[in-house]
Amino acid sequence: MPLDVAPVIRSYETQRTLNPPGIPALAPMPTGETDDTRRLCERFGRDIVAAGLHYGNQVVFVEPAQLKALATFLRDDAELNYETLIDVTSVDRSQLPLNGGARFQTVYQFRSYSRNRHLTVVADCKTEPGGNGELPHIDSLTGVYRGAEWPEREVYDLMGIRFDGHPDLRRILMPKSWPNHPLQKQAPLGGEEVPFTFTWDDPEFETLGSQILPAESAAPDLPPGMSRQNMVINMGPHHPSTHGVLRLVVEMDGERIVSIDPDLGFLHSGFEKTGENKRYKDFVYYTDRMDYLSAMSNNLGYCLTIEHMLGLEIPERAQVIRVIMAEMQRIASHLFWLATHVLDVSGTGMSLLMYATRERERILDLFEMACGARLTVSYIRIGGVWQDLPDAFITELKDFLRVMPEKINEYEALITEAPLWQERLTGIGHISADDALAMGLTGPMLRGSGIDWDLRRDRPYCGYESYEFEVPTSDSGDCYGRFNIRMEEMRQSVRILEQAVGNLPSGLYKSNNRKVALPPRAELDVSMEALIHHFKLMTEGFHVSPGFFYNGIENSKGELGFYVYSDGSAKPYRLHVHGPSFNNLYAIDHISRGEMLSDVVTNIGSIDIVLGEVDR
Amino acid sequence: MDWLQLLVFPAIRALILIFVLLTGFAYLTWYERKLLARFQVRYGPNRAGKFGLLQPAADAVKAFFKEEIIPNHVDKPVYLLAPALALVPALIIWAVIPIAKGTPAIADVNIGFLWILAVAGIESYGIILAGWSSNNNYSLLGALRSSAQMVSYELPLGLFLVSILMLAGSFSLVDLVEGSRQWWEWIWLWLAFPFFFICILAETNRSPFDLPETENELVAGFQTEYGGMKFALFFIAEYVNMISTSAIMATLFFGGWKGPFAEQYIWLGPVYLLIKVLILLFLFIWVRASIGRPRYDQLMKFCWQFMLPLGLVYVSISAVLAVFLK
Repeated sequence: MPLDVAPVIRSYETQRTLNPPGIPALAPMPTGETDDTRRLCERFGRDIVAAGLHYGNQVVFVEPAQLKALATFLRDDAELNYETLIDVTSVDRSQLPLNGGARFQTVYQFRSYSRNRHLTVVADCKTEPGGNGELPHIDSLTGVYRGAEWPEREVYDLMGIRFDGHPDLRRILMPKSWPNHPLQKQAPLGGEEVPFTFTWDDPEFETLGSQILPAESAAPDLPPGMSRQNMVINMGPHHPSTHGVLRLVVEMDGERIVSIDPDLGFLHSGFEKTGENKRYKDFVYYTDRMDYLSAMSNNLGYCLTIEHMLGLEIPERAQVIRVIMAEMQRIASHLFWLATHVLDVSGTGMSLLMYATRERERILDLFEMACGARLTVSYIRIGGVWQDLPDAFITELKDFLRVMPEKINEYEALITEAPLWQERLTGIGHISADDALAMGLTGPMLRGSGIDWDLRRDRPYCGYESYEFEVPTSDSGDCYGRFNIRMEEMRQSVRILEQAVGNLPSGLYKSNNRKVALPPRAELDVSMEALIHHFKLMTEGFHVSPGFFYNGIENSKGELGFYVYSDGSAKPYRLHVHGPSFNNLYAIDHISRGEMLSDVVTNIGSIDIVLGEVDR
Repeated sequence: MDWLQLLVFPAIRALILIFVLLTGFAYLTWYERKLLARFQVRYGPNRAGKFGLLQPAADAVKAFFKEEIIPNHVDKPVYLLAPALALVPALIIWAVIPIAKGTPAIADVNIGFLWILAVAGIESYGIILAGWSSNNNYSLLGALRSSAQMVSYELPLGLFLVSILMLAGSFSLVDLVEGSRQWWEWIWLWLAFPFFFICILAETNRSPFDLPETENELVAGFQTEYGGMKFALFFIAEYVNMISTSAIMATLFFGGWKGPFAEQYIWLGPVYLLIKVLILLFLFIWVRASIGRPRYDQLMKFCWQFMLPLGLVYVSISAVLAVFLK
């Protein structure tokens, strides 16, 4: 039941930066053409509004009526072969000079793994009057790409766009009774009466004081499609092995899983909305908090996106430092995955939990040396890194790299060949390659199903093309395959680190472009110009020319993507984060059906989720 | 005199035994936590008292002063009975275990083996009733798992016991320890020890067979709805069970109280038994720190497809050995 609450709009929330004339501006249309856009134009003719390249990405604007046909064509055409839909997001353009254009746009990121192509498709939403204003809606792509289900629910929840033909269009992150769709531009940044707190008149409180509710009222409403004929248990949000505040409603027949309905959003903190109200450089600190187990990778993904839009050159040394940090973070994240996975599968007494966290601790110590923080590092900034590495860092890192391969062997000796471990993992959580593609899985979940894809190798960034490493894959598609992949990835990361440490060039650790990166502290004492730059950057920030760009990097869990729509001001007009955990978690229902309750826990561990990123 | 012999002395003995066992339980938790910590490169409890030796006392105080919560939806009499039912068998199984030369803990009965089997059979009731009366899905699943698991593993356990019985030729545990064994008997016994130990792990719900409480899936299994002292009773039952079964294993496989000079100095008997029990307890904890947990169905499969046939083969060969070599 939606609450009728008039949002309190505080003055500073709607205030935007002082913009030069002509800003905000719409993103320009794409220019040029590629093979793929040409083929699409031939096929769809006038239904393609515009097509071409934009910031180096292939972009196609399509008429909403033809969106589904276009997606089907993209997937099925032998020459195009876009197997997977990476991401769905949307833009509310109400604060831009629209000139009669549609207010809402949905944005789709398609990826062809076999041809190594990326395609962005943009479609205007149809609107029909209703409710308090207009109700935008568009065709759902769930029939074409199964994995669109959750991203479309997210768009519906946060932006209010309805997807026609969606099987299960419910809110996913916000509470059921939330009064608005928060990413719409007129939704205030805070100030709503939060409907978490209930009044004493609520029926749920009738039994309060009797310690625990009577059994019949414990499950107020079942998710659609579940039956009380079976046992329905509620795992989470307070459950030892749902890795945070994930809630799973599990329908079971005996100990066999009939279906699972994940309930997300307990940790939703509105990063995207916050991002739209922060200057570009100020959002770096927020990225730490999303996937808090790989903060460095989040920093990197965000900074790379903005730097690409700025056309900024990053000095060689900064690139290598970034690679070092990202790979250390990958090892740290995998170590924590290993620790919790073993804990989930084998019980609390298992020593590997502590062994893995011991090594992770060394990595965190190294982070602390570099930037003073261990978890929320904010070390990688737009233009380079925050500060240069201290002298002792490389020695310590070399020592760590000397020890680490032995430690990985140690872990493997403890469990990899252990029959109990193998029996718990082999054949559990099976995903076929086709399913993995249809569901839009990324990272080890994708490689575990035999698809040889790693953004570091196939769409290199940060100079990854100059490192030698292998991308482990497994054809088994089960938890054991994914386990082996992650173990091997740690070894490969050590290999990359060894190469990076071996030829760390000297030079600048951040860009010399004073319009983007802060001048060094020492310069402020002697240079008036540096002081002005410092002041301008700290107060106003830098402007990014109008446009939009999606960029993905390979973090430890999969593809971490940032979609930024700039209106030319110093704040992103729309900032969307594609978190790998979110898409990968979608698979939990699919892979757990027919398996046992214990396997759900194994599967959660194997998917490797961080709720901070799932809920964002 | 008769009632003194029949009631008072055994009662005093029983009280001493209970006191020793409960203290032993308290320090077993300390022992386990310290050992697990060593396995896991940690320190373990080291704040309460020297080496954390007062930690068990602190835990006991905490358990006693917890609020007594009895949820509305439980079947109250059964809910309250279950923890007691879990603890009692763990204690009374000690009655027949010999602790020194010619001295059983309580009574030298001529059905010692049967006593062990019978009491082991009752043990699962506490858990089943706890899970059933809690009226909670997690508890119920834990209880169902435990009933199936304990009943299944009692079969191979019983078969191994029968084999030992056949070779010993007496139902009394006192006779078993004091009777002499030939060298091949010892080897034959020790061959069975690993398998017997596996059965004991399942019987006592210890890791890796702690499926009734699997904190990672079932939150706390059958004890989800229990708190405070009632939870502590389950906890005590589990640990006293560990001590009891270790003592039984020491008696059956490693000569119980026997050791150098134990025949001359009677007081050495309990000391040797204690040392053997401590070593066996170390095994429990070692296994917990290094072996992962199987899935419930795999556990059952292992019992019925491997342990039970193995037990049958062992019984048959033991019977042949007993007939032809003894």
